[in-house]
Amino acid sequence: MIQFEHVCKRYGKTTILEDLSFTIPDGQFVVLIGPSGCGKTTTMKMINRLLEPDGGKVLIDGKDAASMDRVELRRHIGYVIQQIGLFPNMTVAQNISVVPRLLKYDRERCDRIVHELLEMVEMPYDRYAGKYPNELSGGQQQRIGVLRALAASPPVVLMDEPFGALDPMTREVLQDEVKKLQLKLHKTIVFVTHDMGEALKMADTILFMSGGRIEQIASPEKMLENPASDLVRSFLGKHVTESGAVARIETFMRTNAYRVRKDRGVLECAEMMARNSVDTLLVTDEAEHYLGIVTIRGIKLWGKGLPNIETLIVQTPHVARIGDEAKESVDYLLESGDDYVVVLNADDTIAGIVTKTSVAKSVATTLWGDER
Amino acid sequence: MSAFFATYGSMLAEAIGVHILYVLASVAIGFVLGLALGVLLSRVPQWSAVLIPVMSIFQTIPGLVFIGVLFIWIGMRPATVIIALSIYAMFPVLKNTYTGILGVEPKYVEAAKGCGMSPLQTLWRVELPLAMPTIIAGLRMAAIYTVSWTVLAAMIGLGGLGNFVYQGVSSNNNTLIIAGAIPAAVLAIVIGALIDLLQRKVTPRGMKKEVGR
Repeated sequence: MIQFEHVCKRYGKTTILEDLSFTIPDGQFVVLIGPSGCGKTTTMKMINRLLEPDGGKVLIDGKDAASMDRVELRRHIGYVIQQIGLFPNMTVAQNISVVPRLLKYDRERCDRIVHELLEMVEMPYDRYAGKYPNELSGGQQQRIGVLRALAASPPVVLMDEPFGALDPMTREVLQDEVKKLQLKLHKTIVFVTHDMGEALKMADTILFMSGGRIEQIASPEKMLENPASDLVRSFLGKHVTESGAVARIETFMRTNAYRVRKDRGVLECAEMMARNSVDTLLVTDEAEHYLGIVTIRGIKLWGKGLPNIETLIVQTPHVARIGDEAKESVDYLLESGDDYVVVLNADDTIAGIVTKTSVAKSVATTLWGDER
Repeated sequence: MSAFFATYGSMLAEAIGVHILYVLASVAIGFVLGLALGVLLSRVPQWSAVLIPVMSIFQTIPGLVFIGVLFIWIGMRPATVIIALSIYAMFPVLKNTYTGILGVEPKYVEAAKGCGMSPLQTLWRVELPLAMPTIIAGLRMAAIYTVSWTVLAAMIGLGGLGNFVYQGVSSNNNTLIIAGAIPAAVLAIVIGALIDLLQRKVTPRGMKKEVGR
C-alpha cells in the first residue's frame, strides 16, 4: 500500500505539488494523468525517492519512505521510463538481470529469471538473450524495459509514460501485454500517461491531477459517468458524450435512410427497395415533411394497380425528435422488436433513423474509442 | 647505412628502449591520475567550471620550461622526466573522462538509479562503460603526445631518442636528427594503432555504432 500524506513539492518559488493526499491499495493499477506540468511524474518519482517531498510523507506499507535506504528501496520497486534506457553496453540478458544481480542473486537464479521473463513475452531466449538493445526494435526494447522492472519481482512497479515513444500499433500490443501481466502477477502499478485512451484501458483507478492537486480519483467507469470538472471532461473528450451523462438520440442516429415522395409509383418504390436491400422507405410530402412509411409487405398485398404509394402509407407507433433523450427510443427498439425509430427535425423533416446496429456501433465507439 | 648502424646501432636500440619506458611509465601514471581526477570532477560539475580552465592554462606552459623547473627542484633523475610527462599525459585523459561521463545520456543514469544502483555502482556499471570510447580516445591522444614530449628528456641528459636529436642539432648532423625522429614517429604510429585495437576489443557490440560520435 502506498500512501501520500499532505505531500508538498516546490522548485524555487513554483509550487509543483500542493498538499497531496491519497492511498493506493495493493494490487491496483493506478494511472496518473493530467495536463503537462500537473505534477504527475513528480508524484511518481517520490515513491522510489528519485525526488523527495518538501513537506508531508510518503508511506510504503505504512513505513515512511524517507526512513528507508533509498538504494535498497529502489531495488524493490520496478521502474520503467519513457526513453526505455536499456544499458547499451549490456546484452538483453544482462539488462534484465540488473536488479537481481544488485540483490546478489546467484548466477543460476538470474539465468532462470531471464528465461522465464523472456518466455512470458514470447521472445525466445536463444534468439534474444545475447542481443544488444540496439539490435532490437523499439517495441522489443520496451518489452525488455518492462521485464527489467519485473525481474526481482517487486510488489510495486512505476511506469513513466512507458509507451509514449512507440508507434500506435506497438503501443496497443504492449498495453495489452502489460495489462495481462498485471492481472497475472497482481502487481501494484503506478502508471503515468497523458493519453486518456490509455488510462481508460489500463486503469483500475484514474488519478486525475492538475496544478499540483488532485482533480478527481475514480474508476474509469465513474470518471466517464461523472467527470468532476470541465478539465476532466475535456480530457475524456471523445470518450464521453458531449452533454455528459444524458445521451441524446442524435448520437445514435444514422442519416442515410431511404426516402421517397408520396407521388412516386408503386413499382418504382419496390424496385428501389430491391436495389438497396431494404424493406421499408420513409415517405415525405412535396415540402419534405415526414408522412409515414411504406413497407414491401404493404406493396405486395395492396399495391397492384395503384397509381402511387400515397394510400399505402402507414404510421409508426414511435417517432423521436432531435434532442430527445436516447434512452426512450433505445428502450422502445429493444422492447418492441421494431427494427428502427424515425427521428424528425423540429420542422417535421426527416433527420435520420436509429437502428439497433447504429446504437451498438456508437456504444462501442464510446467505450473503446474511435478505431478508425 | 650499415656503417651508421655499426656505430650507433646499440645506442639507438638503447635509446628506443629508454624512450618506450618513459612513455609507458608516464602514460600509465597520467592515465590513472587523469581517470581518477576526471571521475572526481564529474561528481562536482560546478567546480570544474573553474578547475578545467585553470588546468588548461597550466597545460600551455611549454614542456621545456616545466622540465627545467622540475630539474632545478628534483635534480637529474628519471623521476623528473616521468613526473613532468605524467602530468602532461594526464590532461587529455582527464578532460575526456570528464566530458565522456557528463556526455552519458541522462536516461541511462536515471534508469540506473531507478534500478537501485548506488552512485558508485552507477559509475562503475553504467557511466564509465558508456564513457569508455571517449576516455580511450583521450588515452590515445595522451600516448601520442607523450612520445614526442619524451624527446625533451634528453635536454637534461636523461636519454631516449632525444639524445640523437640534440646531438644532431648541436653537431649539425642531419643523419643523427633523422635517426632520432624516425623511430619516434614510428613509435607514435604503432602506439596509436595498438590503442585503436584496444578500443575495438573493449567496446561491446551494442555500442559499436556510437564510437566516434
